[in-house]
Amino acid sequence: MSAKIQRIAEVDRIIHEPARLMVVALLAAVKEADFQYLHQATRLTKGNLSVHLSKLEEAGYIAIEKSFRGKYPLTICRLTEHGRGALDNYRKIIKGAL
Amino acid sequence: MQNPSSPAGSLDPNVVAGRLMQRAHNRDGLPEIAVGLNFLLAASLIYAQVVLPKGSNGFRLAALAFALLLPSLLFGSLWALQWVRRRYLIERVGYVERRPMGRRQIGLGIAIAALMALAVFGVAPRLSQPDRWLLGGTGLFGGALMAWCGRLARFVIGGAVMAAAGVCVAFAGVSLLMGFTLLFGFQGLVTLVSGGVVFLRFIRQPVETSE
Repeated sequence: MSAKIQRIAEVDRIIHEPARLMVVALLAAVKEADFQYLHQATRLTKGNLSVHLSKLEEAGYIAIEKSFRGKYPLTICRLTEHGRGALDNYRKIIKGAL
Repeated sequence: MQNPSSPAGSLDPNVVAGRLMQRAHNRDGLPEIAVGLNFLLAASLIYAQVVLPKGSNGFRLAALAFALLLPSLLFGSLWALQWVRRRYLIERVGYVERRPMGRRQIGLGIAIAALMALAVFGVAPRLSQPDRWLLGGTGLFGGALMAWCGRLARFVIGGAVMAAAGVCVAFAGVSLLMGFTLLFGFQGLVTLVSGGVVFLRFIRQPVETSE
């Protein structure tokens, strides 16, 4: 039992942060989403969301692509395979420990 | 299914994503407007079968439309919602491309449809006063489904209203078709008004454009 709980120390801290967990979980459930959707769904401030997206992109967990839909600028975010693997690993550790 | 209120549930990314997406999906009131319109259409097609003479062209058309048009509209509603949001509301709701429906969701849908068919065609006819059971059961099942699917206070209230309306109509002593007309018509209006209010409040919020 204690060994299982000790595994919590191994969780990926980039994903474990609540705001980033929301973003990664959302992106795992969809093909892709833009900044505005993530902002609306998570209710994080735009500045805060922007910082977390940058951290996730630096870690290679998400890919960000800028484009337009008509006149509307889209900042499209997708979970990478690396990010999906990290999320699966995080899920296993948390489920095993709690 | 994992209990969302458990510590593991609150950290499970699937549970987190499900809650966030559901909240995002329902925040503009459009899903309720679509459901309300579908209820009203169903009520008017059933009512047409009540008032039109059996065997007339109008009666046949209403029956055919109920059998063919309504299911396709129910399935088409999700597509229509996505189209309206991308065409007119993208600056407010943002852009999202969903994954195709998974096997689990499809299986759940088939299981619910099979249970409903069993209840309507297998169990209800064997009970005394099957019309009452069908009307009351539709209200209770529809209300429970609405509350479970929405998981927001206004959906729970809407579900309770539908359940109560179903029970009231069941004991009103009206015919089965008239009962369904009253139940779906009432619930359609309630859902449409609720969705309309939410939509108006949503659309009045200022648009934030900078990132």
